[in-house]
Amino acid sequence: MDMLHNLAIGLGVAISLQNLLYAFVGCMVGTLIGVLPGIGPVATIAMLLPITFHLPPTAALIMLAGIYYGAQYGGSTTSILVNLPGEASSVVTCIDGYQMARRGRAGAALSISALGSFFAGTVGTLLIVMFAEPLTQMAQKFGPADYCSLMALGLVAAIVLANGSVLKAIAMVFLGLLFGLVGTDVNTGAQRFTFDIPELSDGIDFAPIAMGLFGIAEIVVNLEKKMTRSGAIKVSSLWPTREEARRAIPAAIRGTVLGSILGVLPGGGPTLGAFSSYTLEKKISKRPQEFGKGAVEGVAAPESANNAAAQTSFIPMLTLGIPSNAVMALMVGAMIIQGIQPGPEVMTKKPDLFWGMIVSMWIGNLMLVIINLPMIGMWVKLLTVPYRFLAPAILLFCAIGAYSLQNSTFHVEQVAIFGVLGYIFVRLGCEGAPFLLGLVLGPQMEEYFRRAMLLSRGDPMVFLQRPISLGLLIATSVLLILMALPSLRKAREEAFQEEG
Amino acid sequence: MSRLLSKDFLSGVMFIAFGLGALWFGRHLQMGTTVRMGPGYVPHMLAYIMLGLGLIIAVVALYSGGEQVEAPKWRPITMVTVGIIVFALLFETTGMFPSLVALVLIASLGGDEFKLTEVIGNIIVLTILCILVFKVGLQMNISVINGVW
Repeated sequence: MDMLHNLAIGLGVAISLQNLLYAFVGCMVGTLIGVLPGIGPVATIAMLLPITFHLPPTAALIMLAGIYYGAQYGGSTTSILVNLPGEASSVVTCIDGYQMARRGRAGAALSISALGSFFAGTVGTLLIVMFAEPLTQMAQKFGPADYCSLMALGLVAAIVLANGSVLKAIAMVFLGLLFGLVGTDVNTGAQRFTFDIPELSDGIDFAPIAMGLFGIAEIVVNLEKKMTRSGAIKVSSLWPTREEARRAIPAAIRGTVLGSILGVLPGGGPTLGAFSSYTLEKKISKRPQEFGKGAVEGVAAPESANNAAAQTSFIPMLTLGIPSNAVMALMVGAMIIQGIQPGPEVMTKKPDLFWGMIVSMWIGNLMLVIINLPMIGMWVKLLTVPYRFLAPAILLFCAIGAYSLQNSTFHVEQVAIFGVLGYIFVRLGCEGAPFLLGLVLGPQMEEYFRRAMLLSRGDPMVFLQRPISLGLLIATSVLLILMALPSLRKAREEAFQEEG
Repeated sequence: MSRLLSKDFLSGVMFIAFGLGALWFGRHLQMGTTVRMGPGYVPHMLAYIMLGLGLIIAVVALYSGGEQVEAPKWRPITMVTVGIIVFALLFETTGMFPSLVALVLIASLGGDEFKLTEVIGNIIVLTILCILVFKVGLQMNISVINGVW
């Protein structure tokens, strides 16, 4: 009953003209960047953060969420038609999607991927509705020590799934935590690492860091590469045959289940979901030899999985305030810019925002099917826009956006500085995502750590004495140990190699 | 020499540098006690962790080698950074349009193809777009050309 009541609140908020409009804008932008290779949802959301500052909180979050799952739809289009994955999460779709297109089944592949995504998005949204309340209630029992351990688990899990060296990823988390300390210490008022710059006394703003590290660095790296584009395949009938549908439906369901589970895990997300479900389909298929030659399952399963994971990765962020991947870290940043502290209180104190956002995700998914299928030709045309037009445009939006945060050019200069830092990170093979998670969680983690130590009179054993905290720390150490095991390390490296 | 130019070794050095920087710039922060931590407790803790991790990463890289750093291409990163800085310096004194022209021009020089007509076309499109989005749409208080509009 409660669930229906909550959904009714959410529906009321989501179908207001303004929120429908921003959901639509988010979906359009998401599809656009999904189609365009070389710019992903992380960079886009980072660059649009300042703009959300000028919008009401609900509209801002609805739009950002739309960009995230919209990118999952858009990414599949280019994978299928031009064999160019617009997004990392659509890389596997290229394998069988492009082959289907070459056999003249492009339309069928596109509609299977769009409808599978829609089904997965619907299931994902329902899962958020079901799990939101129990998880929030659980989170409200957490003490400072428990929270600190929960964040540690979240950060470590994010490392496991980071690409490349584990040690470097751990160091990046700590570097993020360190940057999170800049500003006035909440407990004593002391200035930390502010270098007497008044703008830094409130801490380094999240938006310029995110824009620099992800937006600017990504543009520079793309400018260094020469981008070649191939012609797109013409789309014929959008309807799958009966046989194709019969094979796609169970695959889409399996993909949805697997994607939903992997999305909730810290560090998980669309890319992991898509890869795992492709592997699963290949293993259980009666016709494994067809994979790579245009198997319908190879499109349906990963496309459903990436969208399901995109939806369910909102669960830990919305209920516990713990972001599970870089996009969620940015969503946390967007909430903080709006003056909302993410965590279990959001649902109880701002039910309209919480449920409105969830319902609008479902509406957004519906919009995406409509945006994507009939308008496919328009999106494919966009692929012919050369990057040398896009790069200055993106930079310009970053610069004006950064300025508009506080009408200060200091923020624009920060974007430039963090752009250089981000470029160094890329060149040295250091992942930006763990840094961002550390940065977002840093201030809270220090606060909980200090509070827990104060309550326990300086005894660090408090982290082991509270059962919740102990359980979370055990899970954290198990993860760390697993990572050190040679066999698992090899499997992890292989998984990333397939990806890259 | 080549081992000193591996990605991992240089990352280690970078982390050590950040750790040392944090220790130096945070040297005046009070440590406090474990019960009542001062503002410097957590920064010091993180700085030492950074130093330790940086050392391990650098030493491991010295012994096992690893992937080499690719020679950076200087033009894109320089042009992009200079473009943004120039934009920041011009924005408040001259307004959006002149700083936009400067940023787009400089940033376009960072790519490997530069055609003046294309860049001018891009500037026209972006000016209209920015006025529509920021001035009309989001109603931000910014001037297009300072003192004129």
